[in-house]
Amino acid sequence: MPNSSSAKNNILHAVKGYQEALDHQQELIKTGTDFNEQKGQVANTIATLHPKRLQLVVSEVIEDTASTKTLRFKAEGIVLPPFQAGQYINLFVNIEGTETARPYAISSAPQQRGYYDLTIKRVADGYVSHYLLDDVKAGDRFQSTGPMGTFYHNPLFHGDDLVFLAGGSGIAPARSMIINMIENTLTHRKAAQKLHLVYASSYEVDVIYENELKQLEKEHDSLTITWLISRPTEKYTGRTGHVNAELLTELLGSDLEKLQRKMFYICGPTSFHDFCAQQLEQLKVKARRVRIECNGPPKHPETLTGWPQDLIASDKVSVTINKADGTQGQFEARVDEPLLNSMERNGYSAENACRSGECSLCRVKVVKGSVFNPQEARLRSTDEAYGWCHSCVAFPTSDIEIMV
Amino acid sequence: MTDFDAIVIGAGNAGLTAATALQRGGARTLLLERHNIPGGCATSFIRGEFEFEVALHQLSGMGTEKSPFIMRKIFTDLGIMDQLNVVEERELYRVVLPSIENKDHEIDVTLPANIKALKKTLIAHYPDESENIEAYLTLCEKLSLECFMMLPRAQKTGDQTVLESTCPLYIQYGLTPSKDVLNEFFTNKDLKAVIAAYWCYIGLPPKDIPFCDLAVMIYAYAAFKPCHVQGGSQAISSALLESFLAAGGKVLFNTGAEKILSEDNQVKAVQTEHGDIFSCEHVISNTSPLHTFNELLDIPTPQQASDDMKSRRLGTSAFVLYLGLDCTPEELGVTAASNFIIDDRDEEVAFETMQGIVDPTHTMLTCYNHDDPTFAPPGKSSISLLCLQYSQAWQDLPVEEYAQAKYDFADKLIDHAERVFPNIRKNIEEVEVATPLTMMRYLNTPGGAIYGFQQNTQDAAMFRERINAIQGLHMAGSWNGMGGFQPTYMIGESTARAVLKKLKNTQSEIKQQELSHA
Repeated sequence: MPNSSSAKNNILHAVKGYQEALDHQQELIKTGTDFNEQKGQVANTIATLHPKRLQLVVSEVIEDTASTKTLRFKAEGIVLPPFQAGQYINLFVNIEGTETARPYAISSAPQQRGYYDLTIKRVADGYVSHYLLDDVKAGDRFQSTGPMGTFYHNPLFHGDDLVFLAGGSGIAPARSMIINMIENTLTHRKAAQKLHLVYASSYEVDVIYENELKQLEKEHDSLTITWLISRPTEKYTGRTGHVNAELLTELLGSDLEKLQRKMFYICGPTSFHDFCAQQLEQLKVKARRVRIECNGPPKHPETLTGWPQDLIASDKVSVTINKADGTQGQFEARVDEPLLNSMERNGYSAENACRSGECSLCRVKVVKGSVFNPQEARLRSTDEAYGWCHSCVAFPTSDIEIMV
Repeated sequence: MTDFDAIVIGAGNAGLTAATALQRGGARTLLLERHNIPGGCATSFIRGEFEFEVALHQLSGMGTEKSPFIMRKIFTDLGIMDQLNVVEERELYRVVLPSIENKDHEIDVTLPANIKALKKTLIAHYPDESENIEAYLTLCEKLSLECFMMLPRAQKTGDQTVLESTCPLYIQYGLTPSKDVLNEFFTNKDLKAVIAAYWCYIGLPPKDIPFCDLAVMIYAYAAFKPCHVQGGSQAISSALLESFLAAGGKVLFNTGAEKILSEDNQVKAVQTEHGDIFSCEHVISNTSPLHTFNELLDIPTPQQASDDMKSRRLGTSAFVLYLGLDCTPEELGVTAASNFIIDDRDEEVAFETMQGIVDPTHTMLTCYNHDDPTFAPPGKSSISLLCLQYSQAWQDLPVEEYAQAKYDFADKLIDHAERVFPNIRKNIEEVEVATPLTMMRYLNTPGGAIYGFQQNTQDAAMFRERINAIQGLHMAGSWNGMGGFQPTYMIGESTARAVLKKLKNTQSEIKQQELSHA
């Protein structure tokens, strides 16, 4: 290499080891490459494990109950990436011109690499669920993120004694975890995990995967299911009520040490997981033994602590967007609507996935004005000082200007 | 006029520093970052109640408020020093070689972050070698001063007699393999292992590290103190970005560079992944030269860059466990923030195990809330547990086996550390596992390299010519010097200075031309 002759370095020949290092360099050049053969390798390696986007096509629409359907998605062109049972994908949709997205837990098992099932229940005052249930048919094409999220069995510390508290469509990740557990037990043939599913539904007709789960329970000792209906019909003879401390004690015993060894997974509507978490706290189960799947932005931020006094949910503020191309856009938004949602309705967007404040992909910078960040917003400790917020759970509390 | 004077690709330490220095120096600067957050590896993430530091273990070069060192000056010049709450660490590190049976550990030495106390501690543990310890530490100190002060001056003069008279220790020891120097000074194998433990921060065993690097590291850490910044390295990254924006800089997140467009071997513009093209005079690339020259540049890799890369070898990656524990550092038995747990006095054994997915023999455990309680929720501990590891074995795994392999290896890492800190597993509240492929995913580096190329003797800047085949294209990052935080901040700063100088020259040239045409 020409370096050795550069005048600045000539004097360094006086340094012991300088020539040896230069000789070593020459040796390395002879056997080394310029890495051009590795072109694209980083991108390809990452794309097989964590693709940024999946191109999906609906292969089948399965009617589960009157209020729930499972949409089966196959990949176009590539093999679907592996995932851990309990994880979700964020499904991008275009509803009459509005681009938005919703995260859905994958309800099929990770052993099934041919497709992902998403089980979607109608949300009474929902938006995307109506579209997915009413308008989507086999052959429709979608984009999604790759599988994401931290709600899954982590063998490093979760142990083998598992309890899953599922409310309504919160059964979706439970189904994936249950089938995964059973498949793993079959392949590895080792005395492995056991899982107690406590599945709460409002009405009998709402129960999803009833037959399949009953069959699995019959065939496998590792699975125990407790069914619970909170608004039963008169003819219903099973358990009724809510997942409370009393029920959990009855089902799992009151030995605290035994309870502490279990890992509790909670997935359901926000009110459900809040309630369940409280009950477990009452039973003195430590926070480290409880995993709660996030579930969207708070519905009524104006009821939360920290919400500015005198600010009424129906108040409107102006949102100014500083776009990447240097231009500005502006729209009006209600203070109780998550910023990301109002941005999307007005034709703007930010990358997003969990839409519950956790994944931080949708972070935007508030340049002027203020937003309300609820507890759901898992901000980094220095974020608020510099105006960064997670737009999926941030609520504008004054006229604001943001950088996207 | 071009859209920008300079475009910086990548908001890692060097990119952020370069962008901030450029903008504050008057250059119209665009910063492109493919992620949604500034910092590269200088970042944090949240799990449960914990905010985990991703990469910073011990920030060097800060000095104290009373006797500040170079990083304080750089951060002041960048306009962020008053934003940072610096936490000084009390210890350099603890080295433990655990006993096989339940006896006292074979080695268990904690080195304080103070030159005098360091000497005293080493002598107390190894009294037979007290004179050698004195001599060795004196050599480290003097050699460091030669490296910082005299060597650059001597190189500027180009006069060998100046070099010989001002840098005698550098001539004798500077480029000697560290292992040889350790053997020359010490006979006790334990002592050698203890004093060389910082080799992990370079990623090569002492036999492959020039002694100047190892000597400077132990001396500078002891003299200027290792430290942390509250909020972690993300606090530094966020402050830099804020300073850049306040100076009028423009940043685009979620916007990777797709192409560097050139004309007649001169940088013309950068095309983003979204298809936008921004013209500029200078490009500062904070991504690897492999990516910059082989993938971003719109012409075949220039011979000069190709030759340089042929003499390089990919540096190590790492396997890291981020652990949020439901117990205090005291309950865990932590007595120093940085802990090296070793199975063997020979670092080459460790280097061997770094090549594949085999039982780890050297692990490092950092407890972030040992020196400052704000780094974890009350009553809990924030820990990173890692070993250095190359990525190839992970790349060779079928994707279906990746998750299981990840947990299996993580288990081994915990087993390894539990011989010193027995209650890790039962206190886990949160854990995230990062393999070399995770590093690759977030850093976009070949092999998931965390320190850039291997840094053996011939990789040092003095053996390298600046790659200038493409006018206006500058490289700044761990790939062009040493890895780690201080070196990357410094290379960002010096690259910005060089670019500002060029911009000034161009401007005065243009002015001259305008005058002569007038």
